[in-house]
Parts: sequence; C-alpha cells; structure tokens
Amino acid sequence: MDFVILSIVLLAIGVYGLLTQRHLLKVFISIELVATAATLNFVMLASSLSREVGEAFLILAFSTDTCVSAVILALLVIVSRKYGTTDISKLGEPEEEATEVDV
Amino acid sequence: MLLELVSAGVVIAACLAIFLDEAVYSVAALAGALMLTSLLYALNGAIYVAVFQFAVGIGTVAVLFLSGETLSEKPSTKTQPRQLIVLSVLGALLSLPAFFLSVSQQNGSTYSVPFGEALWSYRALDVVLQGLVVMTVALGIAIVLYRKKKISKGV
Repeated sequence: MDFVILSIVLLAIGVYGLLTQRHLLKVFISIELVATAATLNFVMLASSLSREVGEAFLILAFSTDTCVSAVILALLVIVSRKYGTTDISKLGEPEEEATEVDV
Repeated sequence: MLLELVSAGVVIAACLAIFLDEAVYSVAALAGALMLTSLLYALNGAIYVAVFQFAVGIGTVAVLFLSGETLSEKPSTKTQPRQLIVLSVLGALLSLPAFFLSVSQQNGSTYSVPFGEALWSYRALDVVLQGLVVMTVALGIAIVLYRKKKISKGV
C-alpha cells in the first residue's frame, strides 16, 4: 500500500494549493492535482488487487473529470471577464468596486 | 528504482505547479506531473489507463496553456533559478515517504477479467453517468445563455 502514501502527498499538495493560492488558474491546477491523487490511488489499488473492473471504472472517472475540468475552465473564463481579475480575494468585493467587463 | 524516480518526479512537478509564480510555467509543470503519472500507470501494468491519462492530460494542458496565456498577467519578477532549486528539493523531500515505503515492491496486475468484458458488464452505469454529465453540461449552458439573454435585454 505504498502508493497510498504517494497519493496522500499529492492530495496534501493539492489541498495546500487550494487553501493558499489566490490565482484562479492555480486553484484549477490544485483541483487537477487532487483529482490526479484520487485517480492514482484508484489505479494502484486496482492493479495490486488484479481487479480489471477498477481500471474500467477509471475510464469513466476520466471522462467525468474532463467534463468537470471543462465546466470549471468555462466558469473561470466567465469570472475573469466579468470581474476583470483572476485574483480570488478580489472577487468578494462589491461589483461597483471591481472593474466590471461585459460578458 | 525507475518507479521511485518517476514517483519523485511526480511530486516535484506537483510542487512546481503549485508554487511557481508564472501561470504558464505552472501549467508546464502540471503537464510534467500528468505525463509522469501516465508513465507510472504504464510501468504498473495499467496500460489502458495510462493511454487515457495521457490523452486527457494532453487535452487539459493544451487548453490550460491557452487560458493561462490569455488570462494571467505577467508577474513583475522573473522566476529565479534558486527558487526552482528550492522547490525541487522540497518536492524531493516530500517524496521521501514513498521512497522509504519501497514503491517498487508492488507487482504488475494480472488480469482476471478481460478489460472489454468489464466495460461491457457495467455499461448501464456508464450510460447513467454519461447522461448525468451531459445533463449537467446542458443545464450549465442553459443558465449561461439565459443570463446572457437577460443582460442583453436589460441593455
């Protein structure tokens, strides 16, 4: 179960990035890292237990992960165009203070 | 030994992706992390998953490069080589637990159920999940279009 440690390290890096980074793209990268950690755990567990079903399910997880990434990226583009910034800490400000750009 | 090196590479690339200042460099590091993860899968015998991870990773990185280039401003200070070295050392230190727990002791998979059969047996779940994803995306698009229409009517 040593790959569990590796995936925990990746998960910790991703969660740390989620908590500390303020750039929207970095937050997205952190989410990708968390997803990669979960996938890694899943694949290695399936491989070590010789369960092909786990790998088959993972293909579905990949497609769902890609859809989630696409939706997050679309939201990221909309938010950055609407508020004119990619800094998360500035998104909480009232709209009249932020430099609003028409979507 | 190769597995340990690849594992350390994944952790180092993840650290670089999070902590580098410039967004494009972060995306490049994420690309490295995803490719090394794909290599890790292949080395463990999960070839199909490795191929899918590679394809999905390439697509994600291509889109992220485009959005990273257009959305982010250039930072005032350039990335120093010292910062790169410090981050690499940090990543190597973080990957030490995986080293000491001997990653290479795990064997490759011996398939008990054929891959195609497993996919075919669970096709109903596949259809339900894909339907859910498509419905969610459609709902999101409908909301965005409705909001856009409302804004254009208001103007």
